[in-house]
Amino acid sequence: MKFTSRHTAAAIGVTLAAATLTGCTEEVGGGGPAAAAGACDPADVTLVGQVRNESNPYEAAWLDGGDTFAEQVGLTQQRLTYDGDSTRQQEQISQLLAGDTECLVMNVLPNGDSDTPPIVEGAEEAGAYLVTQWNKPADLNVTDYDYWLSHITYDGVESGRQIGDALAEAIGGSGGVIALQGVLDTGAAKDRFAGFEESLAANPDVELLDDQTANFSRAEALEVTKTLLTKHGEDIEGIWAANDDMALGALEALQQAGRTDVAVVGIDAVPDALTAIEEGSMTATVSSDGPWQGGIGLAIGYCVATGELAAGDIADEDRAWFAEQFLIDQDNVADFVSPETTESDFACDNLFSRSQGAMS
Amino acid sequence: MTVTSPADADLEVVHARRPRPRRGVSLRDAGPPVALVVVFGVFAALSPGFRTLSNVQNVLDAAAVLTVVTCGITFVLMMGSIDLSAPGIMGASAIAVALLVANNRNDNDFGLLGVVVAVLLGAGLGCLSGLALVTLKVPSFMTTLGISAVGLGVATLMFAGVQPNVSDRMLEGLAVERFLGLAHLTWIAFACVLVGWLVQRYSRLGRYAFAIGGAEEVLALSGVRVAPYKVAVFTMAGAFYGLAGVMVTSQLGAGLVQAGKGYDFSAIAAAVVGGTLLIGGRGGILHSAVGVLLVTVLTNGLVQIGVSPYWQGGVQGLIVVAAVAAAVIPQRRRNQVTK
Repeated sequence: MKFTSRHTAAAIGVTLAAATLTGCTEEVGGGGPAAAAGACDPADVTLVGQVRNESNPYEAAWLDGGDTFAEQVGLTQQRLTYDGDSTRQQEQISQLLAGDTECLVMNVLPNGDSDTPPIVEGAEEAGAYLVTQWNKPADLNVTDYDYWLSHITYDGVESGRQIGDALAEAIGGSGGVIALQGVLDTGAAKDRFAGFEESLAANPDVELLDDQTANFSRAEALEVTKTLLTKHGEDIEGIWAANDDMALGALEALQQAGRTDVAVVGIDAVPDALTAIEEGSMTATVSSDGPWQGGIGLAIGYCVATGELAAGDIADEDRAWFAEQFLIDQDNVADFVSPETTESDFACDNLFSRSQGAMS
Repeated sequence: MTVTSPADADLEVVHARRPRPRRGVSLRDAGPPVALVVVFGVFAALSPGFRTLSNVQNVLDAAAVLTVVTCGITFVLMMGSIDLSAPGIMGASAIAVALLVANNRNDNDFGLLGVVVAVLLGAGLGCLSGLALVTLKVPSFMTTLGISAVGLGVATLMFAGVQPNVSDRMLEGLAVERFLGLAHLTWIAFACVLVGWLVQRYSRLGRYAFAIGGAEEVLALSGVRVAPYKVAVFTMAGAFYGLAGVMVTSQLGAGLVQAGKGYDFSAIAAAVVGGTLLIGGRGGILHSAVGVLLVTVLTNGLVQIGVSPYWQGGVQGLIVVAAVAAAVIPQRRRNQVTK
């Protein structure tokens, strides 16, 4: 191998530089557990919110909620999106962590369960305050880390059951229903359907005629629902969908088939679903309150970074917890059409008020 | 034996040099239609719900969008190129049309003109793929993947965080209103197949697309300037994707960035199932239409006979592989690109 190549020289140079930089970051973050009790000047805190993409109304609302919190404390939030691409998410995180991490607060939506460990390890090493939401492997414990302050998620079984019950009520307690499942190998799809099965067990006169997957997609739900409508016809009185996108696809299929007598429920509370509930074409959905999610992760990190809350004072059951979710139907939909967070939601002594208990 | 072998070999060489005229239906093209009839027959026997008239209408309606995408991709495949730009172009045209007709985001109400603009946008993006292919000599695999990303980028910019919902009667009506039992969109798909077939059969563009896929060098050596035809084929494919994006928007009543998600591979699969070879020079619009029907009948039939959703993906894949294998066995020497 010739050693004269410029490329080789450049590569070695970059490697050396990277090694030096890594050394520096390690020194900064190497304070150990004691450093987890922050003493940052509030003005020095950097707030970062990261979600998949802004073309998803729920995730856009999440980032808006982060902005609201940032404004509240006189800062701005850095909005990051990675287009549902795990590699890009990791790149963005390592780029962040390569910079100044002393007062860095990150509120992250990991793309999938397996994307969480590297983010957590990176933040721990760099000493950046991290809150994750939705996805983490079951065997990864937040309490094993100092800078991973909290993991927030929602009980899918509960939401699946809630809309199942709402559906049963809407069809008068008896009748045939069909179910549209999400991507079958995701935890969310499994939990939500398990919740629906609980609801079915509690409502013995509601009969599940068919369950099919539409992969959380509006377009696929349209086709699957059309097919099921021709298969079961008038027997279908209700449609349970594991998310609102599929519920909206099912609504289109019903409209194209000229059916107006079928109750439809979904989960996520996307704006179109709320409109449909207002108009009465859809029965119910469940909201996790995206704007609150965007704010709360930053708030937890901010409170710890500024020392208003000591990391050690966060109870173990608040390190990985289920947050409260809200069933939305025609009665209360008006309150959710433009969800607003209040300042007190993010007060340092009120951070965990929406907890429904520790993750099991 | 020793005497006949060389004779056989000669015979094959002759066949290769002078392919059978494409008039009429040759035996080797019969595979996919036979598979379609068999699959249809099996489902009809197994499920009373499947063999109803309303379900047949449903299958045809469900095949509409994929048919239009496949019309576009077929010409590209016939040239021996590949096209992965459908998701991006469809996304861009879906958002564009949703913002141009009556919607909840702005005061536009261009109606049919909006549809035309969206289709032209698709054609423009397709033209870019073609130009990048012939001027920069980038393989079509890469150019179209790039254009797909560009299309998704354009769509995301126009999307701007708020989903445009369509309130235009005409556009919504295409999916809802019916003529002779089929949605208007399905008739549009039929029209696309007809147009595609006419282009393929009677225009220079269609015949050159075949020839480029069969033997591009020969064509170039005989003095034909190949490049403009390639650009034209990609442009036409883009227009088809643009129209497909409009159709998805009509069905969903909203412009989605992900309107074309997965259609690139579904369309390529449908075309190949129907007998359009990835190396080019064989197949055509009618083959691809059969392929689309085969794939759609499978999806529908598996739901109708009540196969568990956990099994469906796998079962569907197996049947498609089996159908393709059966269809291409007579041509496996030509199919070596798949190794």
